[in-house]
Amino acid sequence: MMWGYGGNVVVVDLSTGEGKRSMLDESIASKYLGGDGFGAYYMNKMMDASKDALSPDNILIIAPGLFTATPIPTAGKTSFFAKSPLTNGWNESVTGGRIGFVMKQAGYDVVIIKGRAEKLSYLLIRDNEIAVKNAEHLRGETTRSTADAIKKDEGNVVVASIGIAGEKMVRYASIDCEERQAGRGGIGAVMGSKNLKAIAIEGSRDIELANPEKTYELMRKYYEIMINHPSFEDDGKYGTGEFLEWMNKEKGTFPTRNWKEGVFDERKEIDPYYWAPKYVIKNKACIQCVKPCGKAFVLQKFDGMLDGVEYETLYALGSNCGVGSIEHVAKANELCDLYGMDTISTGGNIGFIMDLYENGIVGREEVGVDARFGNGEAMLELIEKIARREGIGDVMAEGVKRAAEKIGRGAENYAVHVRGMEPPAYDVRGIKGMALAFMTSPRGACHLRSGAYALELTGKFWKFEGVDRFSSKNKGEEIASMENFMAVYDALGVCKFSRGIFLLNFQEMLEAVTGKGLSEEELEKIGERICNLKHIFNIKAGWKKGDAKLPKKIHQPIPEGVAKGSYVSKEEEREMLEDYFRARGWDKNGIPTKKKLEELGIEEFMK
Amino acid sequence: MYVKAIPEKCSGCEVCEIVCSMWHWKVVNPRKSGIRIEKKSVVDDIPHVCSHGNECNFECIAACNFDALKKKDGIVYVDYDNCVGCRLCEKACPLNAIWIHEKKAYKCDLCGGEPECVKYCSQDALEVVA
Repeated sequence: MMWGYGGNVVVVDLSTGEGKRSMLDESIASKYLGGDGFGAYYMNKMMDASKDALSPDNILIIAPGLFTATPIPTAGKTSFFAKSPLTNGWNESVTGGRIGFVMKQAGYDVVIIKGRAEKLSYLLIRDNEIAVKNAEHLRGETTRSTADAIKKDEGNVVVASIGIAGEKMVRYASIDCEERQAGRGGIGAVMGSKNLKAIAIEGSRDIELANPEKTYELMRKYYEIMINHPSFEDDGKYGTGEFLEWMNKEKGTFPTRNWKEGVFDERKEIDPYYWAPKYVIKNKACIQCVKPCGKAFVLQKFDGMLDGVEYETLYALGSNCGVGSIEHVAKANELCDLYGMDTISTGGNIGFIMDLYENGIVGREEVGVDARFGNGEAMLELIEKIARREGIGDVMAEGVKRAAEKIGRGAENYAVHVRGMEPPAYDVRGIKGMALAFMTSPRGACHLRSGAYALELTGKFWKFEGVDRFSSKNKGEEIASMENFMAVYDALGVCKFSRGIFLLNFQEMLEAVTGKGLSEEELEKIGERICNLKHIFNIKAGWKKGDAKLPKKIHQPIPEGVAKGSYVSKEEEREMLEDYFRARGWDKNGIPTKKKLEELGIEEFMK
Repeated sequence: MYVKAIPEKCSGCEVCEIVCSMWHWKVVNPRKSGIRIEKKSVVDDIPHVCSHGNECNFECIAACNFDALKKKDGIVYVDYDNCVGCRLCEKACPLNAIWIHEKKAYKCDLCGGEPECVKYCSQDALEVVA
């Protein structure tokens, strides 16, 4: 009996419609825990990383965290994995929602999907039943209507689906998990390339725990800590955008108008302190969460409703496009959810086109709309074009890196990305550790693989203190450690907004759930193993040291605000990266040494 | 006494379902919970839980042909020795607050007087009405 687990792995071949089930190997479970760990292991094990991301050779993996479907509060996360069509490398995309919870109840810790269905299809998993079913009638449907239609036919299932953007293989298409999204890296385009419109899962089994009484007691303990935490009330009221004003005014690092500025002057309406009291009818939580950051947002001027608007989206579809109207930002967010597109990359691409437009590199005729910064209507029209790959939308659907290559005319100077991934809402010119984290993240510019923004901006977290965000010194060890730390969270399925509460103190919880406790040191080692495996996947996919490179705009100073004058020089960029390679035990070209691989027990993956 | 749900406050986190199945059966399984959250739309989460006669007329007890639903001290509970999972109670309940999983009925029994779900609802969407 593997306490806390679903107990099985299933490989579904869409080309034949068959599913092969096997028992989860106990040694794999103890080496990799779950979620992110299983993704790192099986992506390396099952996929030839050199194959094209949109070919049938790519595989799509779903793996809930180890604590998903247990009583551990705020631990209901699920990860999707595939090679990314945006970065041509490792991709993981973590979502809330209920898909992983029911997947474990159906008895699976890992679902691996390979091949390509002949026609648009959906995958149905109902406990032991596995079927690939026709979804041609759902072609072009939004994620919301797709989920509704499948539930009508299949009953009590949880649905993960793509919208038209996934079908059209927009390189940053997302997977919608009933209003929570696996957003980043084009994971939805991979589904589209497989002719897979949706995954519907129903699970009815018990999840059994090693020590249910102890688990219950720990749940009670952390519930009390969380709801009595000083930040509980404001986190709940304002959600992830709570710190928007702080990022602007106190830190000067809120990326604005395609990373020209670090302060958005027109921010009044997009600050949740303004919109939450006006538009939010109640809080929305992921499964198992007792401190919901989700907001049930009902639009007034436009028709629409959504779970949002999250901090990253307030930047991407707000400040980054110069749009200060909350109705437009929220509508754009809803459209992205319905069409199945990552809001961060969508906003990155629209901000990029607006920048080109304002600088006369593209004109009205080419873009089709008056793409001035701040034009909310133009932003909405561009979303429609991208989702359907119409006109300029077809170029924008490729992501800023490829779009800049296609457009030429010096457009690459305006393309803000790392390895093709458009960045999240942290102007790293004034948060230098995060600049390094953007370079070293296995999926390109990303805030969540290290989560070091909080540490950098407040100066202390976990074992670090006195951190200076304007300095590029000693960042290697910091970022490597934080990446290991966060990989543990993604393996356990624990929400990163609980990292200040749990740190890596999971020993008791692991013992109660699985019967085997792990110390902080043991967990850090597992995190390190997972991070190295992701990097190995990237190396096999063609990663070179030169790919870890910051966009040109990061070498120009922030023009105003508290962080005015700060930027990352090329020398700092190089030094930080070298420092990181040393901290990782990799050689000067960023290749893990044999000694390191042996120490982590993963030498079999890099021969 | 019964648990009253306020859908306008429910975040849809399903902690009540997890807590309920853990407290009664020592496993995680929302299907064995006596409270259930229906997800109607993005902004609509509706908890269903038994009112123990306060908002109904004990339709489940009347519908049962197997003497599997009983009332004691104002609490309606399932007698698992008798329940065969025929679904008559499920069909009869006007509040959608009883359901069948693997041939057994599941519903709220108020945890002996101090409902656990109410204790762990972080949004105060559940309250005990005396």
